[in-house]
Amino acid sequence: MSARLAQRLQAEVCVIGSGAGGAPVAAELAEGGVRVALLEEGAWHDPDHFTARSPEMLARLYREGGQTFTLGRPPIMLPLGRGIGGTTLINSGTCFRTPAHVLARWQREYGIEVSEDSLRPCFERVEEAISVDTVTPELAGGNAAVVRRGAERLRWSYGYLRRNARGCVGSGVCTLGCPTSAKQHTGITYIPRAQRAGAQILTGAQAKRVLIERGRAAGVLARLEGGATLEVRAPTVVVAAGTINTPLLLKRSGLAGRSGQLGRNLSLHPATAVFARMDEIVDMARGVPQSLYIDHFAEQGIMLEGSAGPPAYAALALPLTGARHAEAMRAFRQLAVFGLMVSDSSRGSVAALGSRPLIRYDMNAADLQRFRDGLVRMRELFSAAGAREIYLPLPAGVDPEMARRRDLKLMAFHPLGTARAHARPDQGVVDGSLAVHGLRGLYIADGSVLPSSLGVNPQLTIMALATRLALSLLEGDGSV
Amino acid sequence: MLAKGPDAASLERFIAAAPLGQQAAMRALLALARRPRGAALLSLLSPLDQLPSGLLAMARYDDPDISRPLGWDAAAVIARGRRLRRAEGRP
Ligand SMILES: Cc1cc2nc3c(=O)[nH]c(=O)nc-3n(C[C@H](O)[C@H](O)[C@H](O)COP(=O)(O)OP(=O)(O)OC[C@H]3O[C@@H](n4cnc5c(N)ncnc54)[C@H](O)[C@@H]3O)c2cc1C
Ligand code: SF4
Repeated sequence: MSARLAQRLQAEVCVIGSGAGGAPVAAELAEGGVRVALLEEGAWHDPDHFTARSPEMLARLYREGGQTFTLGRPPIMLPLGRGIGGTTLINSGTCFRTPAHVLARWQREYGIEVSEDSLRPCFERVEEAISVDTVTPELAGGNAAVVRRGAERLRWSYGYLRRNARGCVGSGVCTLGCPTSAKQHTGITYIPRAQRAGAQILTGAQAKRVLIERGRAAGVLARLEGGATLEVRAPTVVVAAGTINTPLLLKRSGLAGRSGQLGRNLSLHPATAVFARMDEIVDMARGVPQSLYIDHFAEQGIMLEGSAGPPAYAALALPLTGARHAEAMRAFRQLAVFGLMVSDSSRGSVAALGSRPLIRYDMNAADLQRFRDGLVRMRELFSAAGAREIYLPLPAGVDPEMARRRDLKLMAFHPLGTARAHARPDQGVVDGSLAVHGLRGLYIADGSVLPSSLGVNPQLTIMALATRLALSLLEGDGSV
Repeated sequence: MLAKGPDAASLERFIAAAPLGQQAAMRALLALARRPRGAALLSLLSPLDQLPSGLLAMARYDDPDISRPLGWDAAAVIARGRRLRRAEGRP
């Protein structure tokens, strides 16, 4: 970091990160009359520059071009967003409230106050702010119709997903930047609200260190593009840099390490996708890519959810090579695809390797078994839907029942838990109100605080908890 | 497999966005995947080792001349999005 001090800013609250956690905190506080400065490492991505072209958009909108991997058995691709909106800019827009059994477990095992009743107003507030609504069968498109047919024939429970979209036309590229700005990510909902209420939003500002004086947050040192240093003086700091980067920032700052839990307890909700060739024209890229779910096996930790995209997406994800790949791609219009996610009990960790994260994660036997079972179910699903051919994400000749860890082709979109909440300071990094144990004025409000895998997509949970934190700070509980 | 021209350039930008250490490894693997015998070798390895072949395929099918006959026109999707954004006053 350059020693040159370019700027000094004074705020009442400094928020780090503009994704699912940081943006709602900034907007709610600013609208409550608090002087907020928000630091975002990435840029504001102008929708006028979106191209719906996979390599280009991955390179521009994703951290490390979407090429972040975990080390372990098996290695897993872990894409993350970087910029105003954080990962919400490039996510699929699916919105689930936290399942009741997960909240009950968090109360029981981690001692944190997260009853359904206490969170309901926050969920309602978030859902209104980001326009959550259920996808219609028409918008869901041909891919969802194939899967729905399979689920109905098997009598599996399914439903259309709720999403944060307004004026969606089903253009099928939510994860490459929505060209119609229909997806209501935090960069076009909460961030403009925060700005209108006077918050200072700084892009290209990477928080390097959280400052603590006499046991209380005092501000943040950040590096600006070009190398200059910015010091934000603020008696309250809310870290929302995401599950992978929050522990790195706190470790760099020498903070929150007392419990020994910082950087540990990483859950991933790992996922894979199965393709099938149908007789009919599916046109998977027309319609909302993630529009349908099958929760028939949710109690076993297996959730099936839509995933689709343009030919470039299919070409990358298809588990085939050579002539078989080319043949399947020639029939792209007949290809259907669906995703499988496992609510994992495996746990990994995040440590610093220079300025980069070293993410370790080994899948345990129970999760491997969930993948085996899930892949068997996916084969049944597409057979029931009338598939002519099914392409499981396994090497040729490997049956799902016999799959080994290294046979799996996995990605993960929902990392959580590396600064987990726990009522006891020796067991968690933050308490139930998201305050860092043992320090005043320092809070964490992102995926890192969620103590376990949810079994569903996490953005709504993160936003609701962030909202609750902001409202309690405004009420004076956190002494802003 | 990877054509010279715009898709090669976009793949290069994509690789350049990866962490430095990874870029060198990926370029070496991509060079292997471009050769028929190298591609055959990679196809015997674990799914993640097949990533270079997948990336070459992604770049290839990202080419409008190849994706349009498959029913996907990125430029048309973007143009419609822009029109709707303007008409409805969205950011
Ligand atoms: C492809 C994809 C699809 C997904 N689909 C869904 C979905 O449909 N539904 C759902 O619920 N979830 C989905 N998710 C996950 C969801 O988007 C994330 O769980 C959520 O956005 C995480 O919120 P966060 O606040 O923890 O982090 P993020 O949203 O990632 O925000 C963190 C922000 O902090 C910034 N930052 C990091 N370090 C620093 C620093 N040192 N200084 C300043 N800024 C910093 C980052 O650049 C980033 O903008 C998806 C994820 C992916 C990758
Ligand atoms: S389907 Fe298309 S219009 Fe709808 S939210 Fe996704 S990218 Fe936007």
